[in-house]
Amino acid sequence: MKVGLDIVLRDVPGQLVMALEPISKFGGNIISIVHEREAIKGGRVPIRVNVEVESNENLKRIITELEKRDIWVSKAGEIKKKEKITVLLTGHIVDTDLRDTIDKMNEIKGVMVADVALAMPHPDKESSARMDIEVSERAKAKTALDRLDEIAREKKLVVIKSLEGIA
Amino acid sequence: MRVQLIGFGNIGQGLAHVLLKKGNSLKKKHGLDIKIVSISDITGTVANDKGVDLKRALDVMGKTGKLIKYPGAKKMSGLEAIEKIDADVVIEATVSNVKTGEPGLSHMLAAMKQKKHVVTSNKGPLALKFKKLQSTAEKNGVEFRFEASVGGAMPILNLARNCLSGDEVLAIRGILNGTTNYILTRMLKEESPFDIVLREAQELGIAEADPSYDIDGIDTASKLVILANAIMGADAAFKDVRIQGIRNITPEAIKLAEEGGYAVKLIGEVSGSHLEVSPRLVPLNHPLNVEGALNVATFETDVAGEVTIVGKGAGSIETNSAILSDLIGIRGAERRKRQ
Repeated sequence: MKVGLDIVLRDVPGQLVMALEPISKFGGNIISIVHEREAIKGGRVPIRVNVEVESNENLKRIITELEKRDIWVSKAGEIKKKEKITVLLTGHIVDTDLRDTIDKMNEIKGVMVADVALAMPHPDKESSARMDIEVSERAKAKTALDRLDEIAREKKLVVIKSLEGIA
Repeated sequence: MRVQLIGFGNIGQGLAHVLLKKGNSLKKKHGLDIKIVSISDITGTVANDKGVDLKRALDVMGKTGKLIKYPGAKKMSGLEAIEKIDADVVIEATVSNVKTGEPGLSHMLAAMKQKKHVVTSNKGPLALKFKKLQSTAEKNGVEFRFEASVGGAMPILNLARNCLSGDEVLAIRGILNGTTNYILTRMLKEESPFDIVLREAQELGIAEADPSYDIDGIDTASKLVILANAIMGADAAFKDVRIQGIRNITPEAIKLAEEGGYAVKLIGEVSGSHLEVSPRLVPLNHPLNVEGALNVATFETDVAGEVTIVGKGAGSIETNSAILSDLIGIRGAERRKRQ
């Protein structure tokens, strides 16, 4: 998981290295560091470190170690980046209640249908839709696609998934 | 090298053309003197210990469509020819049958038992009985090569087994059927319905009179099984593949995909033990988005990362590039054995 750590360091040489050591010690992968030198207050300088850690346990260990070294952690929170998956649906999409299909998808926690583009060549013929689905994390993509497969089976629709989904 | 050719259709006749054109250069460059000692088709067998006159055989086929019309041809089946005529290699190029694997399967097994190396373009038997064929070849100490069975001229098996031999292949994804790629590409460019594009492909000879083998994903699934078994060491069979074809893809669906930055392609995918053939959305700038009747495959490997190969997946002449490379490979294997 990706975590943003707001850390406050003493403005003396060697502090940044001291702050980064515990992160690598507990298997954290540093993605970026923002050093806010213009925001120095009372001899302390705030920095923002974005890291990837394996678990909450490791994150706790990192914070404890930092505090032992007199480094304040003012904020630590998981960075949630939304991911978008695109699928194509074909079949009687409107007749099988598109509204209901969207509602059923939106019922899943962390999943939201963000956009639907529809093509209906003729009221009697099968229609097609391109659906953009936003998921709160990568793991949710599979949950969303599995549910969509279920709905498609019930409504006799064909789901065409994107290659990126599993690439 | 004494070679028997079983099956004298598209691929077999292509081989005759290629040998007439390149026979001398193969001798000069590789020391490979390929002598076709017999040709069999469904009507009979032509045999000549000094080498069958390939030009004449092609003429007879052009005029009559039946090999039995070749002067001196016998009413001998392919299987009998394999059992009775002395040769080093059998090239099995009969029509593929994915339900029973026959007659190709019996031809290949009989050839191996006769201690003859086998080269084939025939997918059916491999998709059904890969392990059996491989173990029979090993037991009889002969080579079993089938580059032409997947991807036509695209050297997909040799790439994985030779050039990426130190890598572990984790997944393979690609377009393994040129006909469906042609149809989907035309549907995108022309915005024409599936039926009309299919008819056009049939008129051009790109799609068969019975197109189900291609458009229902059966051909892709057979090739996927071969790749999973030969490259990833799986023990997969045709029945293990989840298959969805392209019959219900509409031009509107393709248009919507394009507006979202995607092309629709029939993709074969083997990832771990999962084998699937289905239409998929491929980003327009993705290496798998190739047009026309081309084939393409991406290997996902542990060391090299992703490696992609593109080439002509069919064609009477082109596919024989794969058969030649297999024959040259057998020549090399024999030399190594002797040393």
